[in-house]
Amino acid sequence: MGPNIQGIPFSLGMEATTNVIKNGMSGGMPAFGGQLSAVQIQHVVQYLLTLRKQDKFKVTGDPAKGKDVYESSGCASCHMIDGQGGDSAPDLSNLGALRAGGYLRTTILYPGSDLPQQHLFLETGGKLDYLFVHLVTKNGRALDGTRVIEDSFRIVIEDARGNFHSFDKSDLRELREEPGKSLMPSYKGKLSDAQVNDLVAYLASLKAAQ
Amino acid sequence: MRRAAYALLLVMLTFGIFARAFAQDVPYQKILHSDDHPQDWLTYGGNYASQRFSRLAQINTKNVSQLKVAWIYQPSRAVANVETSPIVVDGVMYVTEPPSTVTAIDARTGLRLWSWSPKMPDHLVLIGLYGNSRGVAILDKTVYVGTADAHLVALDAKTGGVKWDVHVADNRFGYSMSGPPLAIDGKVIVGTGGSEAAVRGLLDCYDAKTGKRLWRLWTVPRLGEPGADSWGPGASQSAGGTTWNNGSYDPATNTIYWGTGNPAPDFNDDDRPGDNLYTCSLLAIDANTGKIKWHFQFSPHENHDWDSAEPPVLFDAKIGGKLRHLVALANRNAFYYVLDRDTGEFITGVPFAKETWAKGLDAKGRPILNPNQQPTLGQGTLVYPSITGAVDWPSPSYSPDTGLFYVSAHETGAYYIKGTGEIEPGAPKGIVGGGGVKALAGDQSYGAIRALVATTGKLRWQYKLFSTAWVGTLATAGGLVFSGSDEGNFFALDASTGKPLWQFYMGHGLRSNPVTYALDGKQYVFVTAGNAYVTFTLP
Repeated sequence: MGPNIQGIPFSLGMEATTNVIKNGMSGGMPAFGGQLSAVQIQHVVQYLLTLRKQDKFKVTGDPAKGKDVYESSGCASCHMIDGQGGDSAPDLSNLGALRAGGYLRTTILYPGSDLPQQHLFLETGGKLDYLFVHLVTKNGRALDGTRVIEDSFRIVIEDARGNFHSFDKSDLRELREEPGKSLMPSYKGKLSDAQVNDLVAYLASLKAAQ
Repeated sequence: MRRAAYALLLVMLTFGIFARAFAQDVPYQKILHSDDHPQDWLTYGGNYASQRFSRLAQINTKNVSQLKVAWIYQPSRAVANVETSPIVVDGVMYVTEPPSTVTAIDARTGLRLWSWSPKMPDHLVLIGLYGNSRGVAILDKTVYVGTADAHLVALDAKTGGVKWDVHVADNRFGYSMSGPPLAIDGKVIVGTGGSEAAVRGLLDCYDAKTGKRLWRLWTVPRLGEPGADSWGPGASQSAGGTTWNNGSYDPATNTIYWGTGNPAPDFNDDDRPGDNLYTCSLLAIDANTGKIKWHFQFSPHENHDWDSAEPPVLFDAKIGGKLRHLVALANRNAFYYVLDRDTGEFITGVPFAKETWAKGLDAKGRPILNPNQQPTLGQGTLVYPSITGAVDWPSPSYSPDTGLFYVSAHETGAYYIKGTGEIEPGAPKGIVGGGGVKALAGDQSYGAIRALVATTGKLRWQYKLFSTAWVGTLATAGGLVFSGSDEGNFFALDASTGKPLWQFYMGHGLRSNPVTYALDGKQYVFVTAGNAYVTFTLP
C-alpha cells in the first residue's frame, strides 16, 4: 500500500516529515493532525528516526574475546562504556542498539568511510555530523579536531584528547575541513580477522538499559 | 535638496525634537512619502517600492560594532518560529504572533500595549503551510491583518478593537494567509496561500473603511477565459498561482505589482500541458479595476515548486543612458530579473545562485530549458536550486546609495521525485503534489548574502553563510546591510564591500526580515529569532 518509510526523516527532513504526518498526502496518506497531538507526532518522527538501512552482516565472533580485544587495543583510552573509559570519542554503551555488525566492522577497518550523517533538512540543507577540521590561528597555533558546532562566525572543535576549543573565524588564518577523515586510527593490519570479528561481536552486544 | 532635508531630519532626531505623539494616524500621503519619515516603518517592505532601505544613518559602519540589546519581547505563550516584520508608527510597533495574533508594542520599552487574537476554526486547514504570519498593514487609524483561516480583519490601531472582518476565502479548501496585506489610497489588497491544497489563486481588493470587496483577480483562468489555452484540458480545474507574499505599488501609474506561486499539482505536470498562466508570474495590476496590465512569466509550466511570489522591488535607474522605471525580482528559480515596470519588457536576467535547469534566458526572458531536469519516478533527479529555491519568502533590499540589490541566496540542490498528482474534488485530504524531494547530504549546502548591481544582476560581493538562511536583508544610509543566519547570528555587513562589522548570537535561528526605526533621537534595529522579538540600539 504505502511507500517504504525507512529513512524518511533523513531524506525528507524533520519538519517536512512532521508536516506530512500532520497534513497527510494525496494518494492515500491521511492527515493525522486531528487525532494526534503535536507531541505524539514528534514521537512518531522519533520512532521513524530509529529505522535504518538493512545491514545483512552476520555477527559470528565471540563477544567475550572481543571484550579482551577492546581492552588490549587502546579503545578505552578514547571511548567510554558504562561510565568506564575516555570521553574524547563517542560513548559506546548503547552501540549495539544503534549500529549493526557490518557498519561496526567497516568502521574498525576504515574509520572515515561511513561517517554518520546529521539529519537532512530541506530548509537548510544537510550537514555532516562528523567532520575533521584542521585550523591555524592568526598567531600561528595549529590544531586538529572534530567539529562540535559551527556557524557563520564561530566554530567549536574537539581535539583528540577530548578538549573543546572555541574560535571566532575572524581570528583564524586557516580553516580546512576534511570530510571522510576520522581521528580514529584504522585497525586494518593491526588486528587479525578473527580479532575484528570478536570485537564486532562485543560491540554489537552493547545495549545499555534504557 | 533632498539630502539636505534628510540631514536636517537626522539633526532633529538626534536632539529629540520630535515629540512622541502616539497619534496612530497614518494617512495615505504619509505612506506615499515614507522615505521622508525614516523614523517610522510604514509598510511591510519599508515603502511602496518594497526597497527595505532606510535613510537612518545614526547606526553606521563606524559604530555598529557597539550595538546592544535594548529590549526583548516574547509572546505570552511559546509559539513556532516567528516570521513577523513589523510596522512602526509614532513609537508603536505592530507585530504578529503565530498563527494570526496582532500585538501592539511600545517601541521604546518592549511593553505590550494590546493584543488581539482571532477565533480559529476547530480544524484549521494548513496544507503546505505552517500557520505563520509575516505582518500587518496600516492606513489611517486602522491595522489590517490576513489570518490563517483566510479572513481579512481591520483593527483599531489604538485599541485593537475589530472594525470589520471579511471572509476572503474558504479555509476548508486550503486557503490560508501568512503574507501581509498592502494598504494604498482607500484600499487594502490581500492574497492567500494554498497551492499545495490545489486552490485557485486569487488577489482581492477591499474598501479600507468598510471592508466591501472592490475587485477580485483570479490568477489562473478557467475554461473560456483568456489564457485558459495555456492549461490544455487542465483548464477545467486549473489551480495554484497563489499570492501568498506581499506586493508593491507604483502611485505614479496606480499599478500594483504582485508575484504568483506555482501551478498545482506540483512535480507532476501530466494533466496541465502548456505554460499554465498566470502561475510563477509577476502581475502588473490596475489598482482601480483589478485588471492585469501586463504579466511576465518567469517559469512557464513550472514543475519544481519555484513560486514567483518574492517581493518585487521597484526602482528607477539609467540603462543605456536613459532613465527607466524598473522592477527587479530575485526569483526562487535562481535568476535575477530586471523588467521595465511600465511595459513589462524584459531587460535582463542572470543567475544569482547555482542552477542546472536552464541554459539561460532568451531575448524575451523565457528560460531555455536543459534536458533531464524534471522530476522523475524512483530516486528522482538532482536539480539546482532545491525546492526552497535560491531564495524564498524573505525579502531582499535595494540601496539607492550603492545601487546594489541585497539578497540572501540559497546554494543547494535537491532530488526531485515525481508521483501521482490528481486533483480530487472537494476539501483536500493532504498535499496535492505529485511527488517530493530529497535534500542533499553533507556540507554541500550553504547560503550567502549577495550584492548584485541592481541594473545588471552582476555580483559585486558576497558574504558566505554556514547554511542557507531564511532572513531578509535591510539596507541603510549608514552604509550597512543587516541580515541573519539559521544558526542564530544577527549581523551587519558593510554595504559597499560585504565586510562583516558586527554579529550577535540570538540563541535560535532567525526567520524574519529586520527593520529599523528611530525614537527620541535614537535609531533602533529590530529582528526576531525563535520566540524573541529583539530591538538593538547604540549605548
